[in-house]
Amino acid sequence: MNVEITGLTRRFGRTQAVAGVTLETGPGVFGLLGPNGAGKTSLLRMMATVIAPSSGTLRLLGRDPGSYGPRREIRRRLGYLPQNLGYYPGFTVAEFVEYFALLKEMPAARVAAAVAAAVERAELGGKARAKLRTLSGGMLRRAGIAQAIVNEPELLLLDEPTAGLAQLAQRVRFRALLRELGQRATVVVSTHLVEDVGAACTQVALMDQGRIVFHGTPGGLAACGAGYGTGDAPLERGYSAVLAAARS
Amino acid sequence: MTAVPVAGRPVRARRWPLGAAGRLLRLELRRNAMVWMVPVAAALFWFTAYRKSVASPPLWDLRAMTMQGPALLVFVSPVAGAAAWMGSREGRRRITGLVAGTARPRWTRQLATWAATTCWAVVACLGCVAVLYGVTARQAAWGGPLWWPAAVAAASLPALSAFGFAAGTLVPRRFTAPVIAVAAFFALGISTQPIHGSQSYWQISPVVTGPWDIGPSAGVATFYHYLPDLPIAQVMFLAGLTVAVLGALGLPAGSGGQWLRRSAAALTAAGLLAAGTAVTLAGTGRMDAHGMITIPALHDAAADRPIRYHPVCGHAAIPVCLHPAYAGYLPGVAAALEPVLSQVAGLPGAPARISQAAATYHQGPDNSVSTGMAGPRWSGTPAVFHLVLPGQLPGPTMTTSELAAQVRADAGPPIVAAVIGGGPGASPAQQAVMAALMTAAGVPPSAAPAPGAPQPAAVPLPAPVSAAAQRFAALPPAARHSWLVRHLAALRAGRITLAQLP
Repeated sequence: MNVEITGLTRRFGRTQAVAGVTLETGPGVFGLLGPNGAGKTSLLRMMATVIAPSSGTLRLLGRDPGSYGPRREIRRRLGYLPQNLGYYPGFTVAEFVEYFALLKEMPAARVAAAVAAAVERAELGGKARAKLRTLSGGMLRRAGIAQAIVNEPELLLLDEPTAGLAQLAQRVRFRALLRELGQRATVVVSTHLVEDVGAACTQVALMDQGRIVFHGTPGGLAACGAGYGTGDAPLERGYSAVLAAARS
Repeated sequence: MTAVPVAGRPVRARRWPLGAAGRLLRLELRRNAMVWMVPVAAALFWFTAYRKSVASPPLWDLRAMTMQGPALLVFVSPVAGAAAWMGSREGRRRITGLVAGTARPRWTRQLATWAATTCWAVVACLGCVAVLYGVTARQAAWGGPLWWPAAVAAASLPALSAFGFAAGTLVPRRFTAPVIAVAAFFALGISTQPIHGSQSYWQISPVVTGPWDIGPSAGVATFYHYLPDLPIAQVMFLAGLTVAVLGALGLPAGSGGQWLRRSAAALTAAGLLAAGTAVTLAGTGRMDAHGMITIPALHDAAADRPIRYHPVCGHAAIPVCLHPAYAGYLPGVAAALEPVLSQVAGLPGAPARISQAAATYHQGPDNSVSTGMAGPRWSGTPAVFHLVLPGQLPGPTMTTSELAAQVRADAGPPIVAAVIGGGPGASPAQQAVMAALMTAAGVPPSAAPAPGAPQPAAVPLPAPVSAAAQRFAALPPAARHSWLVRHLAALRAGRITLAQLP
């Protein structure tokens, strides 16, 4: 298992963002669904080793990120796209991706090729030398994806990756990319768009108020919505039904 | 997005393989805020430091020491501001969360950014110094560049950059950079205010080039070696500060592993120790007789020996010889002394040569400094008259004609007095001849004494003496000279009366 989480909690002052999450997942695309404020981003940030859990145990890629050495090793094999992507506007796309390749301690000899490949995969080959300040929101999102995958991570954490990808064709190709990445890595995708989960994910978890209220396959989630009236698609009806049940 | 892996076409071809650290530094160099500050700093350097230095006489010591302080004050704001801007970059750009999840320790990431900022600053500063030194090399008649002032200026920039960067890291706000730029300027500017006399811990301030009460002076480090005692302490202090501040950046949790943080702690301690030691050393320094700061623990006694040189001489009525560094001023000095020397040339007791001597400095009470001359006024047989040129040579505060007038006024009275036997107990005839020769040479009666010479009496001459002087001065030069040849012995012995004067 690449991700092993037991009883994980995270508090911000009086707010309990994550309340006792237990989760295990291996290679494949794992969808993390939930409404705003459900705790998805906090869970992802803990998995990205950006913030430490308040309690519980977390093992990533077979290592405990609580200690510096293993945490550094995890980070070398990790890709992370945060919900709000910060960037240096003066950097070009290629420089931005190269910067993160270097911060991820990729061997210097591999950096140039890896940057080129990541930029191409993010469909930014023609914009490789464009400054980030000149890019649209969707292109910036793709630059963020490029930096996340530049080190060919074994654990890829994407927080709302399709936000800003307005064109349907782009989203379809992104889902294909997710499926391809999921063949050899664990890809955790946090999203509020259930169609992304249905199209790309092999497993799905639904969070609400810091807890996981559903964990299974997209088909299983869709089945939960049988007979439930809210939502256009089966998966959406399942999502609404599970949430309603959790809150009742 | 494409699901098909693409064959790796490098976005940018690499001619030379660079290590990861080298690539990171290159990225930071390319996208560094200091790049935009370089033209600003260069323009400010030209406007203040360069123009001020080039306006001073082309003496290496003077140019170098005039440059150090203004150059620093020019660079402090751009460097500290740019470093603060770069230090606050992650916070301002809200990228902290993203970079925090990467393997490279925060400390090494910060050091790369700081190093790039500092590299640009140092290159810009050294470039400016190189231009100034290049111009000086074409103008200076003697000597070579002083590297220590340039080294102190260059060593200041990493420290300023480290302070700015640390401030930006601690307070990652948009206004941090301008606030730090202004604060650093004033901090450096007022760092010399507490200096009292030549013995002060505050001499460690990198804008101090020597004894604060002298400032950059033409008389320093020409006849004697430039003493690097204070610059060594300053570089030690600046290097210590730089290391301490950069080490402190690695102390917070999250900066790196335990080993890294221990190294950072050790560096901080070592840096503080070095800086503290340097301040202590600077406090033990005092001004020596040659106008430089000596620090006993750093002093090399061999540097106290005068520099050997071959003087350059101009042939007036009596040869006038100057230090080769002042070769450009020889015609002016010789012309200034010619009217005096022509009055006494060939007379018994007249000097065989006028030779420039080194100035000496003595720290007085409070912040006063008195200047004098190294060695006696007269020496050797035949006699050589030693001359100290005014401390300020022609430049922003003195014209060539002012220099000539001052040299004539300084050297004229003692030379004439030595020939005719003038002095405090001079006879009326001697006083009259002295006044007549000074008038003929164009020396005003209230001329200032030369450094080290006794203060002449400000009492006006009695009427009979004044009348005799006017009479004697009105004679044709040849008649005056021939009378002196015939009667000088009697005049010196006090046997000539006013009535006997022609």
